[in-house]
Amino acid sequence: MHSSISHVRLAGLAVSTGSVTRDFLSDGLALGLDRAMLEKTAQTIGLRARQVAAPGITALDLCEDAARRLLDAAGLDATSIDAVIFVTQTPDHAQPNNASLLHGRLGLARGAAAFDLSLGCSGWVYGLQQAALLCAHGGAARVLLCAGDTLSRLTHPKDRSADPLFGDAGSAALIERTGTATAWHFELGADGAGANAIIVPQGGARMPHDCKPLPEIPDLDGNVRHAANLAMQGGEVFNFSLRQAPPAVAAVMRHAQYTVESTDGLVLHQANRFVVTSVGRKCGFPAEKTPSDVVERYGNQSSASIPCALLHAFGDALAARPQRLVLCGFGVGWSWGAVAAEFGPLVVAPVQSYPRP
Amino acid sequence: MTSSEKLQALQADIDLFVGATAETRLESLPSWGSLAVLLVILHCETKHGLAVTSAQIRGCATVGDVLQLIPERL
Repeated sequence: MHSSISHVRLAGLAVSTGSVTRDFLSDGLALGLDRAMLEKTAQTIGLRARQVAAPGITALDLCEDAARRLLDAAGLDATSIDAVIFVTQTPDHAQPNNASLLHGRLGLARGAAAFDLSLGCSGWVYGLQQAALLCAHGGAARVLLCAGDTLSRLTHPKDRSADPLFGDAGSAALIERTGTATAWHFELGADGAGANAIIVPQGGARMPHDCKPLPEIPDLDGNVRHAANLAMQGGEVFNFSLRQAPPAVAAVMRHAQYTVESTDGLVLHQANRFVVTSVGRKCGFPAEKTPSDVVERYGNQSSASIPCALLHAFGDALAARPQRLVLCGFGVGWSWGAVAAEFGPLVVAPVQSYPRP
Repeated sequence: MTSSEKLQALQADIDLFVGATAETRLESLPSWGSLAVLLVILHCETKHGLAVTSAQIRGCATVGDVLQLIPERL
């Protein structure tokens, strides 16, 4: 689905990561895995360190910290926000939604709208499109978009296909109505045929937690997980990413009339370095325009990975001047979202861990 | 592309196939596993424009079975 939305701007961006550093090699060695195999995997996939949330810290806490730092940096009061959108698949509760909880914590004005989007790696682009729509056509002048997850809590430590990948983070972005007519060009899509390829089977209404012990089930590679763990079919996810992201990127670039040469960067969901470089190459972008090292410091941050990569790779540039960027997220649900837009100059609150030492 | 050419392309792209023949059993390759499956998927996609699934690769017993996933006309 294509949409072009004008008279909006990205006014600010902040990311807060988990505060606990996990090291791929030492974690693997602690599980008794072979050092040579671990080093080969680290080299091929690009796994080094990741930042996970400290005990008791949730995506809501991480996003609240990012939002407070962003509002401080922008010199704005929370009551100036007309709506808050929260993208997460790890909310604090089944009810109420995280957006309403954040609304209360930040002290947004009564009457400011608040809703969640249940999406993962494509979620920041989906949220950006919804925020832009609210500003362009929905009566909002300023929208707070928060996106974050604590997926590291959902994986089994003995599932080496998933556990070493994920870091935890929360992001905050301000989207505003503006007089500038330059459009943001979006491509959003989904393919429900792959909805089971990334799944946490237990814990929702279909298979509620029932207080019974969860049997651990090994797979063909010796990975272990139970029904309340995140299970990911890595090969199928990779195939989907290679198949779906490049056409979405090409479509938004065509609508924006961008070329690889005229674009400052392609910022992909930071699944891992292997996926980012493979997809970036298939999109026709050179490595120097496709940041891929972000994930080696923070891990796969789900819906917070694109804003984190933006800050990490383009933070200084975005603070100073406009940047022509193409963003693309892809993942759970078999969903994808791409946008081609000019962002900046904007208020930047640097990537920080929370709680801070 | 002949089977021999497909094997050469596979070996040029993925280290673990160096020295293998069509008869080599995949499970006998050092470090055959989920990582190698990803590399084969990437090889098929980038070198042959072919989308193969991990289930198809998991269904292969030998290197020759993997090569047969790539049609001769490619």
